This record gives sequence, C-alpha cells and structure tokens, in this order.
Amino acid sequence: MNICGYYPESINEGEGLRASIFISGCRHFCKGCFSPATWNFNYGDPFTKEREAEIIDDIKNNPLLSGLTILGGDPFFSAAEVSAFIDRLRQQVGPISIWIYSGYTFEEITENPESPEYELLRRCQVLVDGRFVEELRDPSLRYCGSSNQRLIDITQSLILGKVSIWQPTFSF
Amino acid sequence: MALLNPIYTDREVMLDEVITLGEEIVESRNLEVLRENANLNGESFSGKMSKFGSEYAKWYAEHFVMPKRLVQSIKDNIVYVHDLDQYAIGTTNCIFIPFDKLLREGFNTGNGSVRPPNSIMTAMALVAIIFQSQQNSQYGGVSANKIDFDLAPYVRKTFSKNLIKGLEYFEEGDLDSTNVGEISMSRSDLQELYPKAFKFATKETKSETLQAAESLIHNLNTMSSRAGGQIPFTSINYGTDTSPEGQLVIDSLLTATMRGLGNGETPIFPIQIFKCKQGVNQAPDEPNYSLFLKAAECSAKRLYPNFANLDAPLNLMYYKAGDPDTEFATMGCRTRVLSDRFGRNHLSGKGNLSFNTMNLVKLGLEHGIVLGQRKVADERGFYRELDLYLDIALEGLLHRFNIQKAQKAKASDFMMREGVWEGGEHLHPEEPVGDLLKHGSLSIGFIGLAECMKAMYGKHHGEDSNVYNKAYELISYMRNYCDRQSERHNLNITLFATPAEGLSGKFTKRDKATYGAIAGVTDREYYTNSFHIPVYYSISAAKKIELESAFHGLCNAGAISYIELNGNARSNPAAFLQIIQYALSQQVSYFSINHPIDRCSACGFEGIIGATCPSCNSHENDVHIRRLRRVTGYLTGDYQTRFNAAKQAEVRDRLKHNT
Repeated sequence: MNICGYYPESINEGEGLRASIFISGCRHFCKGCFSPATWNFNYGDPFTKEREAEIIDDIKNNPLLSGLTILGGDPFFSAAEVSAFIDRLRQQVGPISIWIYSGYTFEEITENPESPEYELLRRCQVLVDGRFVEELRDPSLRYCGSSNQRLIDITQSLILGKVSIWQPTFSF
Repeated sequence: MALLNPIYTDREVMLDEVITLGEEIVESRNLEVLRENANLNGESFSGKMSKFGSEYAKWYAEHFVMPKRLVQSIKDNIVYVHDLDQYAIGTTNCIFIPFDKLLREGFNTGNGSVRPPNSIMTAMALVAIIFQSQQNSQYGGVSANKIDFDLAPYVRKTFSKNLIKGLEYFEEGDLDSTNVGEISMSRSDLQELYPKAFKFATKETKSETLQAAESLIHNLNTMSSRAGGQIPFTSINYGTDTSPEGQLVIDSLLTATMRGLGNGETPIFPIQIFKCKQGVNQAPDEPNYSLFLKAAECSAKRLYPNFANLDAPLNLMYYKAGDPDTEFATMGCRTRVLSDRFGRNHLSGKGNLSFNTMNLVKLGLEHGIVLGQRKVADERGFYRELDLYLDIALEGLLHRFNIQKAQKAKASDFMMREGVWEGGEHLHPEEPVGDLLKHGSLSIGFIGLAECMKAMYGKHHGEDSNVYNKAYELISYMRNYCDRQSERHNLNITLFATPAEGLSGKFTKRDKATYGAIAGVTDREYYTNSFHIPVYYSISAAKKIELESAFHGLCNAGAISYIELNGNARSNPAAFLQIIQYALSQQVSYFSINHPIDRCSACGFEGIIGATCPSCNSHENDVHIRRLRRVTGYLTGDYQTRFNAAKQAEVRDRLKHNT
C-alpha cells in the first residue's frame, strides 16, 4: 500500500485538529476529482513499517489531536491493510476517533458484512461517503466537496441499520 | 569590547544626509522607509509630510540629542531605539485609558467640554472621541483595558430610560422613584411587576447597544486622524463583566465585529482582546462561557479577538477578584503594564514609556560557532558583550525618560489635563510631568532568539532541548538584568518580547551585508519575532505552544504566541476552541490564531481563495482579491500592498500547522 499525503495536523478533514493520511489508489474516477494523480495505486510512497511507526509516534505525542482522518484515493480499495494499520495504531495509542472518506456509499459498503470493507468501516466513527459529483460541487460545504456526500455517524448507523447523519459536537 | 564606529560630524556629510532624506521621501524612492509601518500610507501626501517630520527628527536626535554610546550601538546594529522620531521631544508610548472616569465625569478635548453620556449610544461615540484625543498625546497604542465594565453603566441608563418609556406606553403603572433603587436589567422584581414594559425595554436596549457597537467599530476604522491617514491604534479588552449590561456590551461588540464594515469587510481596528478567566468564562457552567464561545467564533471569522490569560501565573499574582482594573490586558500588539513598584497595581491611567530592542543575532554571530571561527560557542564573550549593550540600551531608556519627565503637562494636553495619565489632572499646564511618569514602564526588548541560537550552537531552540535550555537561560538572564536595574534605579524596568514590525528586516539586512547569507541565520529577509519558534520550522501546534509558553512568564513587558492555521477556520470551531484552551492551559499569557482571510471583490466571498474564487470563479488577474494577514499583532489591509518586504517574506514563509 502506498500513501500519497500526510498532514500531522489539519483542520480541513473533520472536526477538531486531526492527523490526515491519504491512501493511494481509487477506481471511482469521478469527473472533476481534485487530485486524479492519486487514482494510481503506485502513486506516492510505500507505507513502510518505519513510516507507519513515525506517524503513530506523531499521533501519540500530540495532545491536541482529536483523531485521525483517512482519505485518498479511496482507502476502501485497500481495506484490509488500512484495518490492520488502525488496529496497530489503537494498540499503541489507545482509543482514538477515526474519520474515513470513501467514494462508496454507506449502503454499498454495508451490503456484505463479511467483507474487508465492512470490517474497515466498523473500525471508524465517521464516514464521509459518496462519489464526487461535479454538478453538485459546493465550496461552502463542511468537510466534503459535493452536496450528495454525507457525513455519517457510523456507530449509530450500524446500530439502527440505517444512515444516521453525524452532528458536530460544537458549532458556532 | 570597544565600540565600532566613530560618529561623523563632517558638515558636508551631514548636509548630504539631510538632502537625501528629503529626496527619498519626495520621490517615493525608498519604499522600505515609506512602508516601515503597515498602517501608514507613506506614498500619500500626508504620509510624506509625516515622514519628513519623522525622518528628520530621527536624524536630529541621533546627531544632537542621544548619548554617544547609544548612537554607536545603533550603528553597530545591536540596539534599536523604537520611535526614535519621538525621542527628542519626549513623547510617551502607550496607555490604558480610564474610560470609566472620563465618561463618569465628562471631559474636555481642548475646544469644549463634554457632559457625561446618558445612553450607550452616546457613550460609545465618546469612546471613539476619547481614543482619538488621547492618540494625539502619545505615539503608541491606546487601549481600553475593561471596556465591558466601563460601558455597562450606560447600558443601564439606556435600559432605565426605556423602562420608563415602556411603562408609559403599556400603562403598567408608575415607578415609585423614591423607593425603586437602581433600575437594571437584572431586576427580576421589576420584570414581574411590569412584564410588558420590561420586555420592551430589554429589546430596545439590546438593539441600541448593538447599534452603538456597530458605530464604534465603524468610527475606529474610519477616523483617519494620525499622520499619513492612519487611524488611532486602538485596542479594547473585555470578557469578564458578568452583569447583564456588561454581557450585552461584549455580545454586541462581537456581533458587530462579525457583521463587519459597510460591505462586510473584516475590521482592522480596534484590536480586540477577550480576557479568559476560570470561574468566569472557561467552562460551560460559568456565567460568560457562551461569550467565550462567541469570541472564538468571531476570532475564527475575523482574526480578532485575541485571548488574554488571566490565570497565567504572571497575571494571576496581581488579580484581585472584584477589581477589573487588576485584570491583565494589553495595549495593542502585546505591551503589558501591571505591577508598579510604587504601589499603583492597576492598569488604567498608565502605560509603557519607551522601549529599546536588542539584536540577539549579531551577538550570536560574533560569539557563536556558525562563522567557523571556533568549535565551541564563546558564552563568556557573548554575555560580556550582552552586558555592555544592555547597559547602553538602559542608558538610552533612562536618558529618554529624563527628556520625557521634563516635558510640560501642556505638551500632552489631553492626557494630563483630563487625568488620562493618572494624576495628570493635578498639574498646571506649565508644570513638567516629572515623577508622575515613574508609574509607566521602561522596557528592554529582544528579537531573533532563534537565529541567535542557530549562530551560537548551530541549532535553534525548537530543534534541540539543550539549545532550548540555553535560550531560556539567556532570556532569564535578561529578565534578571531588568529586575536588578529596577531596584537600582527605582523604576519599572521590564523585559519585552518585541513585535518588531519595522525592525524585522532592518537588523537582518545589515547583518547580511556584514556576514553574508548564513543558512538559518541571515539567509531570510527577517529575524524571527522575539522568542518565537521560526515560522518556517515544522513543528506541531502543541509543541510550539509548550516551547514558547515558558518565555511568557519571563517577559513582563508583554509577549504573544501565535499558531498558524491553513484552511477555513470558520468551518471547524472545535479545532479552534481546542487550540485556544490548550494554550491557556499551558500558561501562555497572550494568544492568538492566525489564519488567512481572503475576500473576492467580485462576489464578496470570504474564506480561502487560491488563484480563482471558489464561489464565482473570478481569477485574481481579473478581480482584486484582498488578502488579510496579521502583522505583529495588528491587522492591516491587504498585506501585499501594505507590508514592508521583510514582513511580506515572513508571511510567505509561515509554515502552517496543517495542510
């Protein structure tokens, strides 16, 4: 698995100050995508054990972080590997909130509860879902690009068996 | 060490200098001179007129007034005398204005007297006038240290008038004026007795206070009364008054600031400072917590307010509950006076008198390892020379203080006659201000701690914990020097984390000419502000806060820490709030978050704009994109047209704590 971006602190990809990791590779090919270069699974740098350790260390030592955000590409095309990374991260850092972005919808991911994609989803707290639709692009949206995309409270949605929209814990 | 440069007295050379000074201004030839101060339009007529005065006044002071050693230390590029143009005439720097007293007693601007206001509308209008009048008596920032407390009585008066009016409209009865006591918005008994009138009065008072706040902010951004079309350097501090009237003042100021100016633009002035205090506004069950949240919202939208930490040990030690005049506040970019060795331990009615700044980098270059002349830094030599220049900087402050003391009260007419400087009202206009000024502070500032460490040890204090300890020792040493000299001279001598707007590039330019471009030391166009970790150094926000916070405790003349955010701060309130409260918890005394605000002149979109506006797709080549950034604590208009080159470079280099 390659990663093509890492911000130790960001305010743009989810609530609070979050670390963000961009996983290379995507097969949704949305028209108007802001970074088509990341579609390529070989783009960026290999996510080596050393790189992983560095990032885990960063997260562990940053008292200001609210959590981690995983985006891409689309991390769901590398679901098993991303899940394994999350497990190792939690072993070392403890419980930590994870936001994840996907071009798949919540419904698509949850179709098969045996799948690695479902396993990955289960490990995360908030899903920003859906393909980017150029006609629905709206720069004023919070944490996403087009108005079809949803911010989903994963835990709540899995309990209820239907999509439950995430609510900000604090809002101006 | 011997002083380097002889002072020339050749009359031909002097004449050449005077002529060049004039020509450069007339022909707008030297943009660095004209843009030294981002708030002054040095290319305008009045800006040039002011530059003529100030450039010549500096020249005169250096040649005929100042101690020779001080002039030489300037030429050595180690000491910098701020506001040198005011040196010879004895003007003072900044002040906390006792608005409560001036509004309660009325005042005289010189041409006529003004009665105490009877409504919040008039009171806020008078605040603007007082700021303006005071600005002309001094050269630095004018500040209201507790504007919520100062204005609350006039909200009460407005409410009282509205309640009486309401009683008449709704025919709910008459107030027994002999027994009613003070009418205020907190009187639930009156609310029960006269529900309709009370509701009416509350609504009217809210609307009048908001209007008053809007007009205050408009006034403070439009009254170009300083030379060069500058507006007064105003600051307002608030946040701790928990009376409903005080809360309404705070709330209205924040709402008005968020609404912005005529076209919704971000106001440049006044600098606003929200005073954070545990038990008052820091936790959900505290009376002013919702105002703190609103302040964070406003700051995310408008860059102001900044956040003052009343619980930082350096501030808490002077805090007396129930006396808002003992609450830490700032006079603009960061200056602070609080303690006073003569027992005047409150803020209003005094201020900073002047400050001289040390170029730590040059001392580091002379005694460090970076030039390759030695393997180990020559610390003894460094401190020996530091001592010499500290003495010279202090000698300059004391010399200037004597000039300031000798000025007649009438020279700072409004300030003294009206007792804006406490006690001035007792002076005869012809009497020198004398000992009254001893309540102010004389400060020694410093710049470029990071580059100094790099020059001394090869790393700056963000890179290495041993170097960090050295850096902390150095600043402690300077603070001890100030404390010792306070005792010796029986004056308030304090240590200042200099903002250095005009100065940021000046020291560097000359050091670069002397030593060449040395990586991490002189290879940029500016030196790093005070004790800050360099803006270009990659470090987490939390780590930057932790490293810088210890220095706040040392800088009793004032300091600020910033975190840079890239991204739309408005859409992530949780992050914004978290960072502020983290900084407060780390004992940072004064804190703010920088984030870019761009404004598209085609559609009015405000946020982050690259080359094209995300809202209307206009390109920056076709429409003007106004890009607002903070410099030293003040905002300016578009930084690309108003900042000097050094500060423009600094903004470009700022490493954002994300993306």
